[in-house]
Parts: sequence; structure tokens; C-alpha cells
Amino acid sequence: MNEFSRRGFLGLAGAAGVAGLSACAGTGTAPSSGAGGGSSNTIEFWSNHPGNSKPVEQQIIKAFEAANSGLRVKLVDAGKNYEEVAQKFNASLAGGQLPDVVVVSDVTWFNFALNKQLAPLDDLLSAAKIDTSDYVDALYNDYNLDEKHYALPFSRSTPLFYYNKDLWKAAGLEDRGPKDWDEFLTWAPKLKAAAGSDTIVMELPDGSNYLDWVFQNIVWGYGGAYSKEWTPTFSDPNTVKAGAYLQDLAKKGFLKLSKDPAPDFTAGIVGCSMMSTGSLGGVTKDAKFAVGTAFLPGDGNCPTGGAGVGIPASLSDERKKNALKFIEFLTNAQNTVTFTQATGYMPVRKSAVELPEEKAFLEKNPNAKTAIDQLPKTRSQDNVRVLLPGGGARIGKALDQIVQGQDVGTVFKALDAESQQVFDSQIKSKLGA
Amino acid sequence: MSTPAIVGTLDDETTTTPRSRRRRRDDAHGAEAGTHHRGPVWTVLGYAGMVLVVLLVAVPLFWILITSFKERGDIYVRPAQWWPEPATGENYHELTTRIPFFDYVRNSVIITSATSVAKIVLGVLSAYALSLLRFPGRGVVFLVVIAALMVPNQITVISNYALVAQLGWRNTFQGIIIPLAGVAFGTFLMRNQFLNLPGEIIEAARLDGAGPMKLLWRVVLPMSWPTLVAFALITVVNEWNEYLWPFLMSDDETTAPLPVGLTFLQNNDGVTNWGPVMAGTVLAMLPILVLFLFLQRQMIKGLTAGAVKS
Repeated sequence: MNEFSRRGFLGLAGAAGVAGLSACAGTGTAPSSGAGGGSSNTIEFWSNHPGNSKPVEQQIIKAFEAANSGLRVKLVDAGKNYEEVAQKFNASLAGGQLPDVVVVSDVTWFNFALNKQLAPLDDLLSAAKIDTSDYVDALYNDYNLDEKHYALPFSRSTPLFYYNKDLWKAAGLEDRGPKDWDEFLTWAPKLKAAAGSDTIVMELPDGSNYLDWVFQNIVWGYGGAYSKEWTPTFSDPNTVKAGAYLQDLAKKGFLKLSKDPAPDFTAGIVGCSMMSTGSLGGVTKDAKFAVGTAFLPGDGNCPTGGAGVGIPASLSDERKKNALKFIEFLTNAQNTVTFTQATGYMPVRKSAVELPEEKAFLEKNPNAKTAIDQLPKTRSQDNVRVLLPGGGARIGKALDQIVQGQDVGTVFKALDAESQQVFDSQIKSKLGA
Repeated sequence: MSTPAIVGTLDDETTTTPRSRRRRRDDAHGAEAGTHHRGPVWTVLGYAGMVLVVLLVAVPLFWILITSFKERGDIYVRPAQWWPEPATGENYHELTTRIPFFDYVRNSVIITSATSVAKIVLGVLSAYALSLLRFPGRGVVFLVVIAALMVPNQITVISNYALVAQLGWRNTFQGIIIPLAGVAFGTFLMRNQFLNLPGEIIEAARLDGAGPMKLLWRVVLPMSWPTLVAFALITVVNEWNEYLWPFLMSDDETTAPLPVGLTFLQNNDGVTNWGPVMAGTVLAMLPILVLFLFLQRQMIKGLTAGAVKS
């Protein structure tokens, strides 16, 4: 119509264009390797502050900076959980500005290692003359791929058997955890009778909240496994037996699954549970009854968990060296004690328990001692759960189905096939490459 | 899109509706009740339904509020405690001391206001151009904008990250704000609103010699006030709650907004002390609540000032 509507308003169309453009994506070119932004004497540490540990991390960083003049550590809030740190790390791998040190969990490290995005630490460790034999073996070997280690243990936890001592007393049971799962089955009716109708004997996290982690203990207890190396063994008669046991507990009304058993246990409406050692501080603080802890049933059947710290592969050698220096400091005997006392995680060094402040701490906190005494009995988890992409979630879903009453043999057989297929399509070709 | 819903809330605001309209509506209501003649059972059921819905919405909010005043040991108890006994301000104290809460608030305010202003200005201007002005390629531009609306931002995150990181904008406000400022949604919403305006009024304004900017300010926008306010409100709430992008971009409390900051109260491996989390939630809700109440009034003013002759 009027001419002015044509003239000046191509500018407005420009505004529309901008709106459209910035809603679209830009794809950057990959940064030249080795550069990745950042200066070589500032160590960027990406952490999710496991167990609300930010103040402790800062304290350790301060000590590190005092001991290593010229090096600075920048602590970055990299997410609220391990998965978010992995997500942020993934984004930075695509776009540069890599961290120097990043927190990787028992589930997230492997994919980065497999794709050569985390640096193998062995050469760096021997060049820096760091003695790795002081790390707790099971924890150190969790990051082993093709005889190379891709992270060092940092915030490590294991499950513990938590029980309500008051209920145990009322049921006339000894003040200890069950020796094995068969013994627990004989206890359960007594506990049920003592607890009353509205209390559940045992509550475990559901399949989307690490049931697959604590169930690992029951599987091992019956001589089964999720896998032998890379071969899934869900159809193994012993594994099936463990699945049937879980189903049996649920059928008899002794077991309930929930998103998070800690609140129910703390409120006193659940008799016992298997939860992370990380929950210990919170549960003890909140519970209005005597909390007991014990080893997981069985001997040497406790899975490890938690996270370690790794170094991105494409950093310059100089930055890698500094990063390793920081990691070593972060996980040395003194600092692992400082860190674990503040959070409830496990000390990752064998010599840590010999330190006087740790001895005094354990004397005052017998429940924390249970966790540490259990540490030598831990076992690295089966590959199919921790190393196969989506492994934990896949097993968790199957366990949920079993608890809901589906046939154990059928569910596990399908799980075998599915796991094998994921391995063949996503892992096999990259192994040993 | 949500215009009808927001107009619907007018019914609650009888105090600000002009007297005549209210009377008319009451009359209409009476007539309807007279003809249908619902039994008392239905009336009771209707009210029961309403109470149920109110409870559904209100109980969780109430629970958040009382939990924020509870002592830690009282949060997980049975039977549930429906009133904080004893009440404590400790959670609010812990909230402001354990994390740099006010830094997060400041960042949230900066990010929300900057992105909202950018989105609203861009949205209005581009929609105006695409609906009421004629220029070559108008249809193509609109299609491109709509296409942008179809791409969820989770997909563009990685490439945006690469771009922004190479500009050296990580952990800066511009790095967070600029990629968020695109507004396909606003363009679409406002364009449809502008197209629905009676053509006679716009033609009349043009005949009277209104320039394009004057047309926008004096004629088009005043008639589109409710849609604009609804759009602004949705934008502000979205930006206030935006999590994924600020989380990826920010490194610490110099730029991280509230939703990112509050997660550091939660314990990711172990038992979370919910008291401070709830206190943080309450404080994070407040500004949006105030804004909502304020803007709702504006929407009504806009409606009553409507200039359409029948």
C-alpha cells in the first residue's frame, strides 16, 4: 500500500530475521586440539560437589594453592549430579574450553574413556612417581580399561545395610545384620509381626533409582552375576535364583520399592534398607530411633559406587601434568580423610585409616566404621551394569518388572539378548582399537 | 494461545469489573440457572469438585511453605506434621549462608529482565512487520521463524555451546542472554493477534496519516494489550525458570541464576535437608507471584480500554 510501508520496514523484517536466527543454532568449528582455552597454570576443576562438599573442596584447593605457588585452581559448579557433569563435559568436548579435572562417576567415565576423551593416567602417574598401590584396590581398578586407568577414585561410596535397632529388639533379633539373604528370609516374618501392619520390613530404591546397584549384592550372594567380563549372564541359574528371591520378598509383602527409601526409613516406617554410605550422616541426624548399620549380607559381595576424577585427553602435556598434581593432592591420605569425614564417603587410600584424626573419628562414629571395615570386602561391579551404555537403567527396568510379578526367566532372558545387542553394536568395535 | 484462559480468570475479579457488566452477567447467570434448574445434589457436587481442585493445587504449596519453617527432625515424621511446631527461621538463615543466595537472585533478575525485554521487543516488532506491513519475502521470513519454533532448544544446545565458547563468552551474561533471546513463539503469537485486529481501524489510522511507528504504538498495541501481557508473563516465567542453558554456560555464582543455585542445596548422594530447599523455593516463587498479581490487573485494564466499536 503506502510507500513508507515498504521503505523503512525492511529494517523491521531484519528484526524478524534476527529473531529467527538466534533461535536457530550455530555450529562452531572444533578447536585446535591441545589449546581448548584456559591458561596452563590455572586448573579448572569441574565438580558437582558430591555430598554437599563445596566448602571442603574449597578448603583443599586453598591448601593446594598454598603448597604449589604459581598454580591456581578454579572450582566450577558443573551440575547437580554426575549425569549433569557428564552432560556439561560433553558439551565442552564439542565446543572447546575444556576443564583440567572433571568428576566422572562409575557409570559416566567409561564412555569418555572408550571414545578417548579421557586421558589414560598410567604414564602420567609413573612420570610423576606417584605410588598407586596405596589406593584401595577395588576402587582404583574400577577405572580400568585395557589395563589402563582413566580416573582416580575421589568420592566413593558403597551400599550399607541400614536397620532400625528398636524394631530389631522388638522382634527379638540379635543386634546385627543378616549373614546372608536366606537368613534374612527367616527374619522377615518376625520383623513383620513386630512391626505392625503399616510398617514395611524392607524398602529398596526402585529400578530408576539404583535398585540395580544394591541388587548386585543379592545376585553375587547367590553365586550369580550380571555378566562375566562382557558376556551377559542374566540367564545363569544362579542369577535367576536371585531374581526369584527378590520377587518372593515382594510377593510375601516384605519388600516395597520407592524412589528414595531414606525418608521412609528415617520416618521409622521401614525396618531396613540398603542405601549408600553417603546417606549415613543425614539418616543419623534425622532419625528419631537408634540406627544400626551392618555389612551387606554375604561375604565380599559389596559393590562399589560413586565417582572419581579424570583428565581430558586433548589437553596439553603441561596442563595434564598440573591436573594430575592436583588430583593426587585431592586424593592423598590427608585430604581423603578431610573430605570423607565431611561427607560420609569412603577414604580412597589404604593409609588413611592409620591417621590419628581418622582413628579418633571412627571411634566416635561406629556406623562410619562399619562402612570402612566393609571396604576390603568390596568388589568392582559387573561390566554390563556400569560400562554398557544405559546398563543401569536397563537392568533397573527389568528388576521393576520382576518385582511387579513378571516371570523372572523370561525377563532375564530378554535382558541377556538386549545387553548383548548393545554390546555388539556400540562397544565391541571400539574395544582394543 | 492462552488468551482465553486468562480472560476466563476475569470472573474472579468482580471488584474491578464495571458495575454494569457485572450486573449483566449476574442476570445472564440467573436466567441460565432458571432454565436449567440444577438440583442441590449437582450444586454440592460442583462445589466439592471445586474444593478438590483447589486442594490439589494448594496442598503442595502449603506443604512447601510449612516445611520451610520446620526443624530438620520434624520434616520426616509420622504422623505428618501439618503445622511447624516449633516454627523456626533457621532454614532461611541456612539458605542465605550455605549458598550465595543473593548473588543468584541478582543474576536471575539480570538474566530474566534482559532476555524478557529482548524477546518482547523482538517479538512485537517482527510480528508487526510480518502481519501489517507488506514487503517482498514476507511469507518466507515467517516460514523461517515458524520453522525455528519447531526445533526444541535441547537440540541446538551443543552447537550453541560451541559457538559461544569460541567467542569466549562462557560464564558471562551475554553468553547466557543472547542465545536465549530468539523469539519464534512471540512472533507467532503476536502476529496472529495483530492479524485479528479489525482492518477498518488500521486503515482509518493510516488514512489519518499515522506513521508506522505511531500506528504500532497508538493503535495496534493498545488493542493487543491483553495478548502482549500474556506473552510477557509467559516469557518472564519461562526465563525465570530457565535451567539447561544457564547451567551449561555458568561456572559459578558470578553468573548462575537461581534454579541452578538452588540445586546446590540438594545432596546428590545421600539425604537432602529439605528445609532450606523449601525456603529457597518459597523465595524463588515470590517475585513471580507478585508480578503475576500485578500483571493480571494490567490485563483487565487493557480489556476494559478496548476500542472496538460494535
